[in-house]
Amino acid sequence: MSCTTPLPLNIDQLSATEIAHAVHAKELSATEVAKASLAAIEARDGKVQAFLELSAELALEAAHETDRRIAAGEDLGLLAGVPLALKDNLQLLGTHTTCASLMLKDYQSVYTASCVAQLLAEGATPVGKTNMDEFAFGSSSESSAYHPSYNPWDLQRVPGGSSGGSAAAVAAGEVPLALGSDTGGSIRQPASFCGVVGFKPSYGSVSRYGVVAFGSSLEQVGPLARTVADVALTMDALVHTGRDPFDATNRAVKPSFCAALDQPLEGLRIGIVPKLMELEGLSAECQQAVLLAQKQLEDQGAHIVPVDLPHISAAIAAYYVIGPCEAFSNLARFDGVRYGYQEADQKLFARQTALSRAHGFGKEARRRQLLGAYLLTSGVYDQYYYPAQQLRTLISQDYERAFERCDALLLPTVPRTAFRLGELEKPTEMYAADLFTVSSNIVGNGSISVPMGLGADSGMPVSVQFQGPVFADQRLMSLAQAIERSTNWAGTVAPQFAGKGGEL
Amino acid sequence: MKTLAEVLQDWEAVIGLEIHTELTTLETKMFCDCKLSHGDAPNTHVCPVCLGLPGALPVPNQQAIEAIVMAGLACNCDIQRRSQFYRKHYFYPDMAKNYQITQGPVAICMHGHLDLEIPTDAAAERSLDARAYVLPVRIQRIHMEEDAAKMVHVGGEEGRISLASESLIDYNRCGTPLIELVTEPDLRTPAEARLFMEKLRQIFLTLGISDCSLESGSMRCDGNVSLRRRGSSELGVKCEMKNLNSFKALHDALAYEICRQAEQLEQGLPVVQETRHWEPSQHCTVTMRVKETNDDYRFFPDPDLAPLDLSDEFIEHCRLRIPELPDTKIARYCASWGLRHREANMLAADPIWTHFFEQAAQGQSPQTVQQLAKVLLNDVAGWFKATGHSLDDGSLTPEQLVELCHLLDSHQLASNHISALLDLLVQQDGQLEELLDQAGLRQISDTAALQKIVAAVLARSSDQQRQYQMGNTKVLGYLVGQCMKESHGSGNPKLFKELLVRALGTLGAPVGTSSAE
Repeated sequence: MSCTTPLPLNIDQLSATEIAHAVHAKELSATEVAKASLAAIEARDGKVQAFLELSAELALEAAHETDRRIAAGEDLGLLAGVPLALKDNLQLLGTHTTCASLMLKDYQSVYTASCVAQLLAEGATPVGKTNMDEFAFGSSSESSAYHPSYNPWDLQRVPGGSSGGSAAAVAAGEVPLALGSDTGGSIRQPASFCGVVGFKPSYGSVSRYGVVAFGSSLEQVGPLARTVADVALTMDALVHTGRDPFDATNRAVKPSFCAALDQPLEGLRIGIVPKLMELEGLSAECQQAVLLAQKQLEDQGAHIVPVDLPHISAAIAAYYVIGPCEAFSNLARFDGVRYGYQEADQKLFARQTALSRAHGFGKEARRRQLLGAYLLTSGVYDQYYYPAQQLRTLISQDYERAFERCDALLLPTVPRTAFRLGELEKPTEMYAADLFTVSSNIVGNGSISVPMGLGADSGMPVSVQFQGPVFADQRLMSLAQAIERSTNWAGTVAPQFAGKGGEL
Repeated sequence: MKTLAEVLQDWEAVIGLEIHTELTTLETKMFCDCKLSHGDAPNTHVCPVCLGLPGALPVPNQQAIEAIVMAGLACNCDIQRRSQFYRKHYFYPDMAKNYQITQGPVAICMHGHLDLEIPTDAAAERSLDARAYVLPVRIQRIHMEEDAAKMVHVGGEEGRISLASESLIDYNRCGTPLIELVTEPDLRTPAEARLFMEKLRQIFLTLGISDCSLESGSMRCDGNVSLRRRGSSELGVKCEMKNLNSFKALHDALAYEICRQAEQLEQGLPVVQETRHWEPSQHCTVTMRVKETNDDYRFFPDPDLAPLDLSDEFIEHCRLRIPELPDTKIARYCASWGLRHREANMLAADPIWTHFFEQAAQGQSPQTVQQLAKVLLNDVAGWFKATGHSLDDGSLTPEQLVELCHLLDSHQLASNHISALLDLLVQQDGQLEELLDQAGLRQISDTAALQKIVAAVLARSSDQQRQYQMGNTKVLGYLVGQCMKESHGSGNPKLFKELLVRALGTLGAPVGTSSAE
């Protein structure tokens, strides 16, 4: 796009795409953008508490470098000057990477995650690390060892999780763009709670090297932003240089996400799973959101077809076996020997390790690891892990069959809008909220959550989710954009924070 | 305690081996780009991956997969088109992630076997009248895994953790590609176990996948042994031997353990399933840890690594890279040059020797090759042992070995002067013939010159002359020795003998020669 109109006064009125254009066009310097973003955080984050750590120095350094390149006439990346927030499970040299855990309280990154390095190489400005559920275990960001984060639409409510800090920072207009990670819905659910766009790419699209692992076979890093175009731009930037040799599960994906924008929906078949629409626990406003989206898509030329996913109800069970098993294994390395929390004054190695782990991890992190340790015990393994993998195959086959009949699935992202802090006490209640998101982590296909405005009952953001066939993520961009066109929600910042600090 | 021979009259030992071999000849570690090293400053070849830092991921080393496929093919294994890496969990600081990446129920190489030739001396361990035999040993599997870090326990007994004041960790070794071969329990004597290990080492050396040093630990063997009454087919309770860091240790530890278990069982005491440590200084095994319960390693497929799919092309490519293996080589040496099996076996054991020998043997007649083998394996090897030189330090070239044999053959050099000549050769370069003259080592084969010495020796040896005439031809050796002494070692002993016999003959033939020899 071209910015011929006078520039707005506040950073939160610009999308990542607009910032990159303005910086390219020398209408804004990367440094003033960085400063504006840092000022917005300064003004707003006292209430939102989206960040665990700011990296002002790194941000200004990166912005200066971008400005130097502009002055020198050198090539600029796709995200030149775009302020970027990073979930605190992403390694970035020069920051702490704590995963919101006491276990990694003072842990300094010794290297930079490939996905982060890639966005920095494309000119992004890293402003800080965002809060999350400890080690990404949770759906509310309340299990952070440091502090909760608050939903910018209602500070009594959670921003969702586990990438809650990233979603809240974007929704409050502190940054136009954040990275999160999604193991069972951890990008899409907080995006939905906070009224922003959140995308989980197909498994293998984005390198996991440098992402502190929770569920290796389930998780992907993806963007959260206020427009679908920004998500597409970030995806192009992430996959720009091809396959990452440091991640054996990574593969080359065409950087054609932006090219897939603005495609007509004429003739597209959108699958609806009637069984999922009638589930107990799905709130009326979230159900309404899907029905409205359905109509909007039809208006734009798409056909709605009912499809079935016969094994979908078992997805949560499979997820809560596979996830904890992988988590137990991945988190075994945190023993307090070389880094991280170490119990003081212990004479025996076994005791030091046991107590460091008992006291370094929070409740939910301990619960998941204990569960995983149990599920992997010989004898038990055959009863749970193996059947869970079989279910994984069955659910994947369900999806394959469904995608023979449709081009994408439309379903809710979450069963209800953001809940109040402390409202969900039982872990299983929290787990149930992952109903609509986990299957895509089980299958490995891409899925995007896009805002549908505010719910009639709660007044909180509602959303819908599109899921596509594995490695056919580009089409999800044009579908999400079609919704964005109808709702006119693109770029919305939570009203109580819009325009506070961050003047340009 | 009874002797091994006594024990094995009543008992049968059932032995299986687990052999770990580091792929030391590769450039990099199993799952990262860190250089493989030995003896470098601690923790200088490390990165986020081998240190198991949060967020790091493994990427398999293709060369290591090639090496294990070659090992599997050389051990007659089925190469699995699809296998998977698994995680094996245990909390110990030598494993940076607190799990080891290894393989699950399906290893890259499954169901192999090696035929083991047991020569007479080793066969005697089975029973005193046993002749040489061939023992087929089944190989259960060879799997791919990563090595752990090296722990140094400062102040502990023999480097062990007990009584240590602190433990240091060197992660240079962590992540070294390691292949583990597991045999079926087909071995019955310590000698068989030793021969299996020796044979496997020969094969791996020939493949060039490891330096196979038992001493430095790049090849490590654990031995499992149990006893049962002769004729029984049930398996007894086994113990696992560790610290078997030489062929001798492997043999002696198993021999000791068999005798120890026999004593237990004969006293009506049970054998406790445990891991035992071989103490070479005490010449016994001691309890390391008792396995009360089976360790639960919580094995599961590593989600960071997709299943390993090996194509037929890849396996064929590995097969083509396998050089001539020791068994084939030995057969060829025996068939084309008439070498003895023992000699051929020694030459085929080590690729450096093989290469050297084949270079020297090129274009030579079988007789010359036989002599080359003899001189190399006896005289030259003896000189290496005495001086600390070795075949790969360039102290002797294949051409020089051929020349050496030529000098011996043409009686210009006496075999007892080989080491003196080699000493000279490493001190100052030059033609062997020149050095020979320079040091006065050239053998005198001039009959006239030798005849004078013979006459002089005989003149002062009337006693020996008389004995010879009485039929004691053994004195001939003494007289040749005297001649050699007189000539300062430079006379040709064969000629001396001929001249002596002739001279003594003219003095009168010995009596009763037919019975004296």
